Amino acid sequence: MFKVLPAALMVFLKTKGFEMSEWDASLQLCVFDTSRGQCDGHELDKILFFYPTDCPLAAQLSLIGLGEGLITFTKIFSPDAPCDVIDSERRLHVLFQPEQGLWMIMVLDKRKENSEIGRTHALQAVLREAHGLFTLFYGSLKALLSNNPSGDIARSCLHAFLPDYLADLLTGKKLLMMSSHFALQERGSVQMTALDRGTALEVQSLIDLLQSWFGSGRICHTLLLFQDLLVSSTLSPEDAAYLFTYARMRLTPAAISATSSGHSLKKSPLREDSGDQGLEVFTPRPLQRDKWWRDHDGFLITDAWGVEAQGMSAIIPTVWLHQSSEECMQLVAYQHKQLTVIMLISVVHLAADIDGSHVLRNQVVDKASNRLSVLEERISRDWGGINANHVPGYRYLWVDHDSRVSKASPGSKITTLTKDSLLSLDKVRAEIDAAKARSDRKDPAQFRELETCVRTRSNAWVVVRIRGSHELYIVLERASETLLLTAEATEKFSRRHCDGIFDSD
Amino acid sequence: MFSRNCADRHTCFGLLALRFNYSPYLACRTAPRTCTSYSTPLGNFALIFGDDDDGPCYLPSYAPEKAEDDRDLLSSEGVNGGGADATSEEGTSEVQEFHRNEDEYPPSQSPSDVNGFKCISYNMKELDLDDDRRSAENMEGSCEQAKDSDIEVEPAAGNGHVEGYKSYASSECGGASKSGQGQDTDLLKRDLIPGKQHQNEDDSSAAWRRHKKHFFILSHAGKPIYSRYGDEHKLAGFSATLQAIMSFVENGGDSIKYVRAGDHQVVFLVKGPVYLVSISSTDEPLRALRRQLDLLHGQLLLILTKSLEKCFVKNANFDLRPLLGGTENVFSSLIHSFSWNPASFLCSYTCLPLSHTARQAAGAALQDVADNDLLFALLLSDSKVISLVGAQKASLHPDDIFLLSNFVSSSESFRTTESFSPVCLPKYNSTVFVYAYVRYLDTDTCLILITKNSEAFFHLKDCRARVESFLMETHVLRDISNSVARGGLRVEDLPAGDSIYGSVPRSKRVGTVGDGKASNSTAAGTKERPGVGGAAGLWHFIYRSVYLDQYVASEFSSPTQTPEAQKRLFRAYERLYASMHGAPGGSHQMQYRRDENHVLLAWSTADFEFFAAFDPLAEKSSAITVCNRVCQWIRDVENDFFFVGASPFNW
Repeated sequence: MFKVLPAALMVFLKTKGFEMSEWDASLQLCVFDTSRGQCDGHELDKILFFYPTDCPLAAQLSLIGLGEGLITFTKIFSPDAPCDVIDSERRLHVLFQPEQGLWMIMVLDKRKENSEIGRTHALQAVLREAHGLFTLFYGSLKALLSNNPSGDIARSCLHAFLPDYLADLLTGKKLLMMSSHFALQERGSVQMTALDRGTALEVQSLIDLLQSWFGSGRICHTLLLFQDLLVSSTLSPEDAAYLFTYARMRLTPAAISATSSGHSLKKSPLREDSGDQGLEVFTPRPLQRDKWWRDHDGFLITDAWGVEAQGMSAIIPTVWLHQSSEECMQLVAYQHKQLTVIMLISVVHLAADIDGSHVLRNQVVDKASNRLSVLEERISRDWGGINANHVPGYRYLWVDHDSRVSKASPGSKITTLTKDSLLSLDKVRAEIDAAKARSDRKDPAQFRELETCVRTRSNAWVVVRIRGSHELYIVLERASETLLLTAEATEKFSRRHCDGIFDSD
Repeated sequence: MFSRNCADRHTCFGLLALRFNYSPYLACRTAPRTCTSYSTPLGNFALIFGDDDDGPCYLPSYAPEKAEDDRDLLSSEGVNGGGADATSEEGTSEVQEFHRNEDEYPPSQSPSDVNGFKCISYNMKELDLDDDRRSAENMEGSCEQAKDSDIEVEPAAGNGHVEGYKSYASSECGGASKSGQGQDTDLLKRDLIPGKQHQNEDDSSAAWRRHKKHFFILSHAGKPIYSRYGDEHKLAGFSATLQAIMSFVENGGDSIKYVRAGDHQVVFLVKGPVYLVSISSTDEPLRALRRQLDLLHGQLLLILTKSLEKCFVKNANFDLRPLLGGTENVFSSLIHSFSWNPASFLCSYTCLPLSHTARQAAGAALQDVADNDLLFALLLSDSKVISLVGAQKASLHPDDIFLLSNFVSSSESFRTTESFSPVCLPKYNSTVFVYAYVRYLDTDTCLILITKNSEAFFHLKDCRARVESFLMETHVLRDISNSVARGGLRVEDLPAGDSIYGSVPRSKRVGTVGDGKASNSTAAGTKERPGVGGAAGLWHFIYRSVYLDQYVASEFSSPTQTPEAQKRLFRAYERLYASMHGAPGGSHQMQYRRDENHVLLAWSTADFEFFAAFDPLAEKSSAITVCNRVCQWIRDVENDFFFVGASPFNW
């Protein structure tokens, strides 16, 4: 079997359509399906998405040729974990296989990204998040492709989603995550607000109330946010993380359109379906900016999913959850000041002839709005402000991978770190990523325990402690500290702010 | 043109030398008889020694009429291209000289092919029998001589060093009883199986794909030059695939450097028309893997010089493999050293522990023979440097020492015969051959004299005799063999008590600090702490002097005496070093890392770098105290563990 592989691969790479061509772009992103376009001359059929869209086809084919070639090649030695990074003099390629046979490749131009690109795992997390959010709104790519073998629907969904997602990552033409405080963030985790016992009980009671209603449909899950922090969720950690990420991007008070005035439901431009029937299908753009606004009753409205034929009301967004057998649910959001309630309603429970959202709106406004208002005031009063998580002298990140929760120094404080410290932190985190991957390969069930203290050139300390699923990253920029004083400071932090999880004893 | 007594690979190498305008003093190594053949455009000549050692005899070992056929063969292979005239001229002049000599010396039998090394070998077994006997006698009676000799070299312990070293040096006479201990602890080093392994495998075999570390050298046309495992012929398709991948990226104006796939890493290195690739699942840092490819390329240059590139310029499909015939051991030994020799990632060399006086005596012996003809003189014990001198303004790079010692030590032939071999020192000058006179003075001690003069054999032979005689007279050879027998530093032998524990409270000195396996031994009895290594659970350390480009590593102590533990520690050091030096924006000054296997401490200053491994339960404070003391202690006895050059000949 492998005897013929190299020769076949060589021929494949040297196929006329796969000549490596130079394309000058800071960032490229492509999604392709290795099971498609197997015949000569049909290679373009592999491509489901390519950014930038104006990239010449030859360059697109060359990238996919390289990716597919190296995936095939690395399977010779590593059949279970094919290629995930390709590094060349000028570019860094990060590969991710979100679904069997489907690949995403992100290409960064090193010359244009001034900062060092260290953590490839962080870049893979971007691809994982992009796919997770895509699946949240459109379902799995495999399902889209099996329902529509021509791939047109999958392509239109990817084109409706990924450019908006990338727009959030890019500042100008640079990847935002490379140049700021992302070194102390964990993509794919949620940040919680601290609640006292009484408030937590009140939150629980309110959620129970909401989920007990059977009006137009059953509220299956609720996600409660205060500002951009999670208060409560009834979802699985994975679904909660993706929905939380979306809510932070588009639904928080700071993210929605500033004023509701000026917004009116317009019939969105329709996309032509490729079929001969002339059916017009609208592909929602969940990440389109300024498409959410607050209605007079406190509910959030968007026309990103389109508008009903009459043009009177917006189509209610739907999401697909991983935890409930990929059941499609309606997403309804209510906002009172800093508090945002996201309710997921099971579509199968909806009576066909009833405007479910209308009934729900009335119920929330009548029975829950007062309690939500009180809750918002209570949390506002207890909340320590945007610097609530700041611990003087420390710049830190604490992640619990089991519950996908993270807690970190405020972004404004992290940016005070010197570039040296940030680069060293990035380097150390890349080493830790590798060490974790190494230990997972040997024994995934093993309780992980690592400790690292590194003194950088500029006398700052980067400290990492890992206990099981908990990870703590700290940067201390106190030049006079010795290793022992640094260890002591870390112990103190662990005792005071991490419930002693990272204590040495 | 080719000797029929030699395999093609030998003559091709000789041919290459001609082709590159180098001296035709490039022929096959011959053993056991004392003959050497020369490939020249007009025929082959054997250089043979008589038992009376009165000089070489040159005689044709190949009928000149056969030369015409071989020249045709050469042309058809595309080796002897447009530059043939120049090389022929040089070859002819050599031939004239040989004919002159031919009249003077009687003919002898033709050389027999042994391993295809391209060096001239002079079998000196009979000639040096007396010397060998003397040497053996000297070894056996070394302890006695230490007491009786008038020309006593001052023992290291009496050299004004700190108490700690006394305990180390005082075992000198007991060296024989502890013989081999040093080597025994380094299990990784002993793992090497000479020659190429798994010769019959290829990329279709599952076993081949499962090897943890592959190395490939190929030409830019995709022709295989070397593969660590498997038969290069059978791997031609695989080699072409690697070339296709690299060329594919190159066509886009880029150059592929690295691919990661799960726990596998593929590293690419382009060196002109030579491509080097490693595919490994050994968890080594990228920086270390790149350096290994660089060293592999250096080893290739050491054998063939950078002029090999000209072959590919003339003919892209040039097949380099015949020129490397017989060098499998060199490459396999080098690759093996990547998993045990810290020099492979430290970019430094290590010295044999020796009293300052003895090292000075060795240096004096080398300086005594230093003249215009001599470029470098090295005295090595295995891969460890005893002393070296170099011509003024000439410096020998640690990598060149590493590659040269690997080249010499990986061939048994060098051990048994007196050799004069063309080599290239890639960091010194990668484009030319220099000539290395190699002679083992005893089992481990090897003298290498390097010259630019291809005719300097007899002069260097005399030099060797003078050096050897001096080393014998001053008992330095005895000191060397004692040091070898004693092995390197052991953490258990580090001085105990306050000199090492410093301010650690006495309660913590008992047993090892923070170690559950601690015994009730006292601080003074470091050897009474079984299973915990040295002080405070110190298992192992490496100290690298930045300004000397030298390092000293302790022997592996009892907790790290399994090959797995040693390899794990070696890899951990590699990662520490890569992290220390690979940090963007500058070196990491200090690192503390703890996992389930060990506590690692790394310290980088302007003067030295220090890496230490402790028991995973070791306390930070004790570990730091021990590190400080060890660093101080090593600086105190620096002259015994480092070669501190002071003479104008030194670099």
